[in-house]
Amino acid sequence: MATKGSPRALAEPEVEKSAYSRELLLGLYRMLVKCRLCDEKARILFRQSKFAGNFYSGVGHEATEVGAAYSLREDDWIAPSHRDWTSNIIKGVPLKFCFAQLFAKATSPDRGRSSPAHMGYPPLNIITPASSIAGQLNVGTGVALGLKKLGRDSVVVSFFGDGATSIGGFHEALNFAGVHRLPILYVCKNNLWAESVPLRLQTALKDLSDRAKAYGFPGLTVDGNDVLAVYEAASKAIVRARSGEGPTLIECKTYRWYGHSEIDPAKYRSKEEVEAWKKKDPIPRFEKYLIDRKVLGEEVKAEIAAQITAEINEAVEFADQSPYPEPAEATDFVWS
Amino acid sequence: MARTLAFIEAITEALHQEMERDDRVFVLGEDIGLSGGVFKATSGLLEKFGEDRVLDTPLAEGIIIAASIGSSLVGLRPVPEIQFTDFITVGMDQLVQQAAKIRYRSAGGFSCPITVRICCGGGVGGGLYHSQENAAWFVHEPGLKVVMPSTAYDAKGLLLAAIRDPDPVLFFEHKKLYRTIKSEVPEGDYTVPIGPAAIRREGTDLTVLTYGSMTHVTLEAAEVMSKRGVEAEVVEVRTLAPLDKATILASVKKTSKCMIIHEDKRTMGIGAELAAIVSEEAFDHLDGPVVRVTGPDIPAIPFSPPLEKFFMVNPEKVVAAMEHLAAY
Ligand SMILES: Cc1ncc(C[n+]2csc(CCOP(=O)(O)OP(=O)(O)O)c2C)c(N)n1
Ligand SMILES: [Mg+2]
Repeated sequence: MATKGSPRALAEPEVEKSAYSRELLLGLYRMLVKCRLCDEKARILFRQSKFAGNFYSGVGHEATEVGAAYSLREDDWIAPSHRDWTSNIIKGVPLKFCFAQLFAKATSPDRGRSSPAHMGYPPLNIITPASSIAGQLNVGTGVALGLKKLGRDSVVVSFFGDGATSIGGFHEALNFAGVHRLPILYVCKNNLWAESVPLRLQTALKDLSDRAKAYGFPGLTVDGNDVLAVYEAASKAIVRARSGEGPTLIECKTYRWYGHSEIDPAKYRSKEEVEAWKKKDPIPRFEKYLIDRKVLGEEVKAEIAAQITAEINEAVEFADQSPYPEPAEATDFVWS
Repeated sequence: MARTLAFIEAITEALHQEMERDDRVFVLGEDIGLSGGVFKATSGLLEKFGEDRVLDTPLAEGIIIAASIGSSLVGLRPVPEIQFTDFITVGMDQLVQQAAKIRYRSAGGFSCPITVRICCGGGVGGGLYHSQENAAWFVHEPGLKVVMPSTAYDAKGLLLAAIRDPDPVLFFEHKKLYRTIKSEVPEGDYTVPIGPAAIRREGTDLTVLTYGSMTHVTLEAAEVMSKRGVEAEVVEVRTLAPLDKATILASVKKTSKCMIIHEDKRTMGIGAELAAIVSEEAFDHLDGPVVRVTGPDIPAIPFSPPLEKFFMVNPEKVVAAMEHLAAY
């Protein structure tokens, strides 16, 4: 079983935005496209009843996910939430396992235990998430404490939504991380909605990054649809965390294109709002940036899409062909 | 060499020795460092091991548990303290949704070797919010192990076993035992395995299943009954999850009568499950009903002395129930 991370493993993030390498820019682009295509494929598969349960699409959030997780090393950790299935892809989990997870097959990392999209991958330090919102960022904070105690320079990226910031555990975790200057990035994907609850009923704040003030560490708000803005903020926060200077809260303002899940028509949002945000699609925006700088041309663009599509088809085939777990496996892994 | 230690001294000694033996072990919780714990269970640890391994945490049970879970994922062996079980509800999400399930939901990819020391129990004038037990909540959560010692010997041995266990263990300490119970405790290293129940008194006429401070109450009642010609066998279920069904059932099959004693509230309590197991798996051997003596179904132990006395199981209540069952 391939458990290796991405080819970037062990590379340090590039910190100077003006000097980003061509390799980095193309890598970011490729990953954005990969996340988008995988996510859209997952939605189609769900509609085709290829897998049951539900799916929490992250389409629209790719720049946030990729920007924040792209420069992680193999020994770094991710604490994902329900909408961060693609964070596994970014950290380098082979696609076949990602699709096997949706299909709840015996070849999935959790052998079919979690709902689709609630995915982790222990060999690459991605914490298999619970559904209880904000639970994960607490455990991620504990991981950061452990890493610090062990004297390692690994860091944790914790992903969560705007809704998660209202839960008591969010306060407990960030307060604790502040006290101990833990090596963790709190990446809040503020997509303006928590299921059907609008931000104005979630918080009186304009910027959720303001919360960091209460915990004694930096908080910043970035355009979550601008992959370079997120990458820049995250890579600086990673360097900061690695060098023992403590946590950073990064609020990424973005938008969820589809319903809360695939069974949610999201009638509570106006068409205008959705359309306005679709115009801010992070992918064409970054494409234009790259084309303007002659980093990307139509040919390379088509090549990337074709390669990824082939990889996805192979992964879906693997998932499809994989067996389901045996019923009696339900009692495995309760205790060691 | 064994010498006599108080229950709490055995706990303190176990913590000192295990932290010396294994540098992955650290303790955290409210007031455990500078003050050595509100009952002094962690006394001397900060002086010996320093702030790095003895963390006075913010007042936040959720992150106390979560910090433990997370650091266990990277290979450490945290021993968090919950000052009073009454406040464990604040850490419930982390215990039930994270600690109990992380191994399961990652198909063994992650395991969670934490030992949560939880101070519990009534009969000491603690009132509604410093007297609860609440062990039954966690016995309902496969993935968690739950133990509750009643002797100083077991307190040390079970605590060492818990810290070395690869799974999350909830270690309940009845505060009434801290300084009232003393027993012989070896100076050196030993463990009392998680799982097996202990037969504290052999008898042929009826089996009593109990645990924690009620073990002592039951033994007192058993002596009274012995003078009346009834010999009770007292089985201390010192591991509440997973249960030692074999020992429980063997004893019930021997005596043909079973009663269950616990301090906590009655409905859906640990006694309910024990009674169900006995009636399902030893029905043919029973000569009488399975009898429970438990706290009453009121929200918690009230403060005023007569009210607290009403709540607590005492030897007289147990003797009365034993008379009743023995008559079958
Ligand atoms: C503690 C808890 N309460 C409720 C839910 C049900 N639920 C799942 S996702 C969600 C909304 C989450 O919103 P947000 O944190 O903004 O993340 P988003 O879905 O927008 O990515 C709710 C209410 C849950 N999973 N956990
Ligand atoms: Mg949201």
